[in-house]
Amino acid sequence: MGKKKCVAMLLAGGKGSRLNSLTKDLAKPAVPFGGKYRIIDFTLSNCANSGIDTVGVLTQYQPLLLNSYIGIGSAWDLDRKDGGVTVLPPYAETSEVKWYTGTASAIYQNLNYLKQYQPEYVLILSGDHIYKMNYESMLEYHIEKRADVTISLIEVPWAEASRFGIMNTNEDLRITEFEEKPAEPKNNLASMGIYIFSWNILKEYLEMDARNSKSSHDFGKDVIPSLLEENKKLYAYPFKGYWKDVGTVKSLWEANMDLLNDECDLDLFDHDWRIYSVNPNQPPQYISPEAIVKESLINEGCTIEGEIDNSVLFQGVSVGKGSIIKESVIMPDAVIGENVKIEKAIVPGDAVIPDGTVIRSFDDEIILVTDEMLSGVYPAFK
Amino acid sequence: MKRKLLGVIDATTYHDDLEELLTHRSLAALPFAGRYRIIDFVLSNMVNSGISSVAIFPKMMYRSLMDHLGSGKNWDLNRKRDGLFFFPTPVVDSDINKIGSFENFAANLDFFYRSSQEYSIITNCYTVFNMNFKPLLDWHIHSGCDITEIYHENGTPMEMYLVKTSLLIKLIETRNETGYTCMRDVVLDPEHNHSICRYDYSGYAVMINSIENYFSTSLNLLNSDVWKQLFIKEQPILTKVKDEPPTRYLKGSAVQNAMIANGCLINGTVENSIISRGVKIGKGAVIKNCIIMQKCVIEDNCYLDSVILDKDVKVEAGTILTGTARDPFVVRKGTKQGALMNS
Repeated sequence: MGKKKCVAMLLAGGKGSRLNSLTKDLAKPAVPFGGKYRIIDFTLSNCANSGIDTVGVLTQYQPLLLNSYIGIGSAWDLDRKDGGVTVLPPYAETSEVKWYTGTASAIYQNLNYLKQYQPEYVLILSGDHIYKMNYESMLEYHIEKRADVTISLIEVPWAEASRFGIMNTNEDLRITEFEEKPAEPKNNLASMGIYIFSWNILKEYLEMDARNSKSSHDFGKDVIPSLLEENKKLYAYPFKGYWKDVGTVKSLWEANMDLLNDECDLDLFDHDWRIYSVNPNQPPQYISPEAIVKESLINEGCTIEGEIDNSVLFQGVSVGKGSIIKESVIMPDAVIGENVKIEKAIVPGDAVIPDGTVIRSFDDEIILVTDEMLSGVYPAFK
Repeated sequence: MKRKLLGVIDATTYHDDLEELLTHRSLAALPFAGRYRIIDFVLSNMVNSGISSVAIFPKMMYRSLMDHLGSGKNWDLNRKRDGLFFFPTPVVDSDINKIGSFENFAANLDFFYRSSQEYSIITNCYTVFNMNFKPLLDWHIHSGCDITEIYHENGTPMEMYLVKTSLLIKLIETRNETGYTCMRDVVLDPEHNHSICRYDYSGYAVMINSIENYFSTSLNLLNSDVWKQLFIKEQPILTKVKDEPPTRYLKGSAVQNAMIANGCLINGTVENSIISRGVKIGKGAVIKNCIIMQKCVIEDNCYLDSVILDKDVKVEAGTILTGTARDPFVVRKGTKQGALMNS
C-alpha cells in the first residue's frame, strides 16, 4: 500500500433519529437531498474535489443502502487502485464484537486501516452535513500553524450555539477552551465536526482514550478536552459559506428551500466544484402543456402535468393533472395523483399519493408524509 | 443469451442531408432527446437484451463518439471478458455507405473468429427505438432461416440483420467471389442461395437521415405516446453520465410542453421544445419549437422559433432567429449569434 499524506475518515453511522420515518430504514447520510443527491454526496465530493483519494467510510446504523450506494466509489471518482473508498463496518474480534460506541472509538477500531497508508495527517469528517469545503486549504493551514489538531469552526446564531461544540480561542485562533453543547455559551463559534489530526497525536490519544473506562469515546466530549488539558496545539480554522446540519425534518426542508433562493451560497451549478452522485440514468423531465412550473428545482425522469411552485422534485416523480405542489420536497419516484394539493411537506421516495388528497399543515409545521398518514388517520387530510 | 448473440453496430454512415450537424461529429454521435447520442438507442437495446459483446465500426471524425462511449462503463460494457470493441475502419477513401460493409468487417475478421457468440446482429447506428432483441433471436432460431432481416411493420426495412456468426464470417471471406459488399447486397440478390426471412417490428422506430426528419422526430418526443414507447423503466436508454444538478426554474420562467435535461437554468419562456443538459435561458427570452443542444447560452430577450442550436452556441441578447418546420434554422456548434447579424 502506498504512503498517503492525508487519509479521510468519514463517520456515516448516524441514526438521525429526529428525521423520524425518513431514517427508519437508512442512515442519515443516505437521506435524499437537493433533488438528486444524498447527504453524504457533499462530503464525498468535497474529498474528491480537494484531492483526497483515500476515504474510509464508517458505517453502523442501517448500512445496507449506504453500502450499496457508495459501492466502489466510482460516482465520486474514488475507485482507485491505491486508496479509494473503503467501507468500514464494526467487526468482531476473537474476544468480542466491537460496536462503535462513540466517534473516537469508531476511529480507534480502524487504526489498522489507517496504519496501512502511514498517513501524516488524518481528516475526520461527518457525513451528516451539507456544505462545500476545500479540505486541502484546511490541511495547508494545519501545517502552517504546526498544529496537533485543527478544528473547523463556523459562526452560528447565538440562539443555536448551545446545540454545538463551542470553541474559545486566543487572537491567533489557538483554541483555549472547548465546550460540548454548553448551556451558556461564551461565544457563537461552533465546531463543524471536521478535524485534522497529525497522525502521531491521533494514535496516541485514541489509544489512551480506549484504555480509559470512564470515557464515552467521543471526540468533542473526551478526546479534545484531554488534548487541551495537556496543552497540545489546537487551532481553529474559520469557515465561511453555506453549512447546514439537516438533523430535523424542518432543517432538511429548509436546506432544500435554500436551493431555490438566489442569495444562497450553496451553488450546485459551479462546474469547478461539482457535487457528484450516483446517476439514476433517467430521461429528461417532461413538462406537459397543462403544467405550470414556478421557481423550482426539478430532476430528470419527472413527468409534470400539474403546478409546481417553489418546490424540489427528485428523479422519477410524476405529478398528475390539476395537482398543486407548493413549498414541498418530493423524493424519488413518488407518484402524485390528480387534483392533489401538497403544501409545506416532505413526501418520501416511492410514496403514492391518491387523487384528490390534500396535505397541508395547520400550524406552519413541516409535514413529513408517512404510510400511516396515507392510510387516512391524520388530520391534515381531508 | 449472454454468450449467444454478438452485437455489431455499423457507425460509418454519413447522411449528406444532415451535413450541418455533422461537421464536427459522426452520425452515431448526433445528440438527441436532450441527453442522448443517437447510438445510445441501439447500444442500450443490445445491452438490455443481454448482449455482452458489442463491436462498433466507425469511420472518420469519431473523436466525439469515442469520448462518449469511453470504456463502455455507462452501458456496463467495461468487462474483463467481452465488452465494447471499437474498430475504426482503415479504409478511409471508400465510398461505401451501406450498412454492414464487409470490407470494413474484413479488416477485423479476427474479432469475429475470436467471438464465441453463435449469432450476430448487424445494425445501423441511427435508429431511434427501444426494442428487445431476445424475441427476435428466439424467432430466428425457431424459423431456421439463414438470415433474418428486420422490417418495420409499416414495410420499411430497418437495416438490421441477424445471422449465424459463422455465416457472417463466410460472407465476409467470400466477398470478392460473390460480389456482395454488404448484408443488403445479399438479401437483394435474387440469385442468392440462403434462406432469408423477414421479421416485423411493430414498436416505435425512426431512422434519422435528414435535418427535417431529425427536427420532426425530436419534437415528436413531446407526444407522450411516443416518449412512453422510447423511455421504458425496465429497458432504460443508457448514456454518458454528466453529474449536472437538477434543472432550476427561476422567477419569470414559463415552460410548457417541453422536454428538459438536467443542469439548465431557465429564466424565460419555453414551448414545444427539447432543451439539453446545461443550457442557460435568459430573462424574457422565448424559445418555441426548438432543439437546443448541450451548454448553449441564450441571453435575455431573444426570440427563437423553429431553430436547432448545436452544442455550445451563444445567442446574444435580443437576437431573433426563426425557421420553419420543414426548414429549421440551424446554428453550427460553438458559434455566436448576435442581434445585428440576423435582425
